[in-house]
Amino acid sequence: MRRFTVDELARYDGKDGRPAYIAYKGKVYDVSGSFLWRGGRHQALHAAGIDLTAALAGAPHREDLLDRVPVVGVIEQEEET
Amino acid sequence: MAKVTREVVERAGVDVDRLLELLIKNASAEITTYYYYTILRFNLIGLAGEGVKEIAETARIEDRNHFEALIPRIYELGGRLPDDMVEFHNISACPPARLPADPTDVDAILKVLVEAERCAVRGYTQICNMTAGKDHRTYDLALAILNEEIEHESWFSEFLGEGPSGHFLRRGETSPFVSKFLR
Repeated sequence: MRRFTVDELARYDGKDGRPAYIAYKGKVYDVSGSFLWRGGRHQALHAAGIDLTAALAGAPHREDLLDRVPVVGVIEQEEET
Repeated sequence: MAKVTREVVERAGVDVDRLLELLIKNASAEITTYYYYTILRFNLIGLAGEGVKEIAETARIEDRNHFEALIPRIYELGGRLPDDMVEFHNISACPPARLPADPTDVDAILKVLVEAERCAVRGYTQICNMTAGKDHRTYDLALAILNEEIEHESWFSEFLGEGPSGHFLRRGETSPFVSKFLR
């Protein structure tokens, strides 16, 4: 499975026809086909290309909605210095 | 635009532009759902379908009422609806509630209906969370709509056999919670 750095993930922002990827709990999801992620934005509050693990805790839905979109990779954790 | 109205909401800490985007996206969801529910309702036929038709019709009319109730608040806060209906459709907060591939499959129609309502419940919960204690009028409106969306979800969920809704059908007028915003 493909490994993404944070910088690589940021390129998949869903803008200008680019795919829209998001990360959650270490996995990278392709939300490009979701109506709710058109243009790389979700409900005026969230953008594609970033790790939304913390944001989902405050969302009005559970993580099981992510089961509807494909996993395309994993996110590399930054090494602590 | 109601300048002081917007100003006090901003001063309370609400990102009004973001709130407006959410209100407009949810207004789009309401009017597009009204359109798609019209098609779903017409296809609810036969022994199973006819039993669902009445609540589908009530939800359809109430979703239109939600659209009507949202618009004044959007303009009060300085927002506006898109000039282009296609653009308005495409920014909807919820996916299109399209007729399933097999229009005689009442369960499939019910699943479309309940998914649409669940999306709406999430959307208005988000708006309530953003505005609670800060933007009283938007909160009051979103809460009123949320009350009706929860009832819609419960009705359709019950027909899908997910458990008792705890609700009865409307007796008489529609929109018991939102009607005060329509006067």
